[in-house]
Amino acid sequence: MIKKILIANRGEIACRVMTTCKEMGIESVAVYSDVDQKALHVLMADYSYCLGESEPSKSYLNIDKIIDAAKKTGADAIHPGYGFLAENASFAARCEKEGIIFIGPPSRVISDLGDKTIARQIMIKGGVPVTPGMMQTEPDPLVLAREADKIGYPVLIKAAAGGGGKGMRIVKHPEEMQEACAAASSEAASAFGNGAIYLEKYIEKPRHVEFQILADTFGNVIHLLERECSIQRRHQKIIEETPSPGLTPSLREEMGKAAVAAAKASGYVNAGTIEFLLDRDGHFYFLEVNTRLQVEHPITEMVTGIDLVRRQIEVASGKRLSLTQKDVFGRGHAIECRVYAEDPEKGFFPSPGKIRFFQQPTGPGIRNDCGVYSGFEVPVDYDPIISKLIAYAEDREKAIAKMIKALGEYVILGVKTPIPFLIDVLKSEPFAAGETFTDFIEKHFGNWTPGEGDIDLALISYLMNEISGKDKTQYQSSSSHEAISPWKTLGNWRL
Amino acid sequence: MEYNLLINDKTFPVTLDIQEKNKCAVSIADKRFSVEFDRIGEHLLSLEVNGKKINTYIADTPEGKEIFLNGKSYLVADADALEQQGTKKSSGGKSSDEVTSPMPAVVIKVMVKEGDMVEKGQGVVVVSAMKMETTLFAPFSGCVTRINAQAGDKVMPGVILVDIEKREENT
Repeated sequence: MIKKILIANRGEIACRVMTTCKEMGIESVAVYSDVDQKALHVLMADYSYCLGESEPSKSYLNIDKIIDAAKKTGADAIHPGYGFLAENASFAARCEKEGIIFIGPPSRVISDLGDKTIARQIMIKGGVPVTPGMMQTEPDPLVLAREADKIGYPVLIKAAAGGGGKGMRIVKHPEEMQEACAAASSEAASAFGNGAIYLEKYIEKPRHVEFQILADTFGNVIHLLERECSIQRRHQKIIEETPSPGLTPSLREEMGKAAVAAAKASGYVNAGTIEFLLDRDGHFYFLEVNTRLQVEHPITEMVTGIDLVRRQIEVASGKRLSLTQKDVFGRGHAIECRVYAEDPEKGFFPSPGKIRFFQQPTGPGIRNDCGVYSGFEVPVDYDPIISKLIAYAEDREKAIAKMIKALGEYVILGVKTPIPFLIDVLKSEPFAAGETFTDFIEKHFGNWTPGEGDIDLALISYLMNEISGKDKTQYQSSSSHEAISPWKTLGNWRL
Repeated sequence: MEYNLLINDKTFPVTLDIQEKNKCAVSIADKRFSVEFDRIGEHLLSLEVNGKKINTYIADTPEGKEIFLNGKSYLVADADALEQQGTKKSSGGKSSDEVTSPMPAVVIKVMVKEGDMVEKGQGVVVVSAMKMETTLFAPFSGCVTRINAQAGDKVMPGVILVDIEKREENT
């Protein structure tokens, strides 16, 4: 059994993995860059190791440094989280070569599925439906333009190595092709170190429905139901839920079987996610496999009661899955909102900076997977995620009400967050009706502004703060204490 | 006491009348409020406004106070104090005629050089924050007189990356 795990990541996901490590009696090693010296994941770990300069290529993306850190700290396994090296086949291969357990699928599977064109070929062989489009990447914009004509506009440019919407562009008119290809390729090159792109038919108004899978080294594969992630901005999910309001029990069974078939076709081991697009007629198409723990994994944990990180560690230790498909059933409804340091009024632009005050919501059915604290400076160098807020209740309507209440109590001062935007989305009629398609934000919230709010109360607050300022000094000592003591904010963690 | 408070780019005259230690009356336009308040922490006040309780969270920012109420943030500033300081911040949107990053970012590339003539709306600098690239455009047509940044530089909002001398329009 694994005794010490190095988490090759930062922020909320590093903290999330460490939580399960602690519960399992496994020691954790945090790695960090210079700007992250005081980050929450470093404070939570049993051991920590500095990788150096903050630039990702010199820290969290630097394979040599991370392998070195694992050897020096005596870690017998590495958990990559999501992003950074999580879907980097060379990194997994290097771990295999160095005799360090990589908590994820074998490098060959990552490499096959990480190339979206190869993944499409595997799925076709495995009998899994895929979207029409190219079977290999293409650097020449003229060839791409010809392919686009063949597929028919609108087309979707995708990065072979892509994820999180980076290196992706919808092209509606031929004259936009060349510029869009260049931009997508350059974005992919800087995000993944690989600028290769290809084209798929763009499916309009689909739902994004994905299935969580678990596979062990003995060939057992099960799925842990679906997650609907149609609420996206810039191709990045911001609200996810399970069960999907778009699935019938029979469609769920059919898609679940396809997900298991997809995992088997690729020789999958460990936790993974099979993403599908579901069109309005109930046809579904394979989109891609995420060969890692998904950002939105907590909602699956809430409805199934299964700790996915624990299962990942067990499978990586060579244990047989103790669950069969019959043991998996969902109960209730879970919703996740991603809370980034970003400004919803300015096109969701990143809003890094110092968090002046931070207070997490609590209560029955509320979980907040969080990587920051009061006084923490959200660095400009990495993805601006602050936390993921999850609400769990017996049905969808109650879960929505619980989420709205929790968001209203989530106080983050000093950086901009999408909280007011998220509240408006959750309160909207189309969301309540479950009319969640990937064009949801564009269609219903394209010109969103926060609205006036309660100006009277804000003005009164300002004045009361001014006149009660005399007493301020007596609180200053406690506030500086607060800034260096994030442990206060850890009180309500739950799995 | 009379205040002129700025919120959402609008100024509101507000009258404050302190009655007891933790009690006061507030008038905003023709609305009157009876308010009780307790400071709970540096960033937290408990208020009772016309008999109804509400918690309000407050932090200082360079532009004023950030106030959080019921899932919504507000920026409130004292308009008179701003005027005395002579800051132009209250006017809002003033940065639109400057080439500056809207957030702390890293310069990816500078697409013009000194002496270049640029057209309004032409891309001049690409910056990246948190892996997202954005292009900054020339606010007006004119001549590039100075480049203040190069690829790899970390830049803050407000820092002028490219100086452009406005071309006089012949009308």
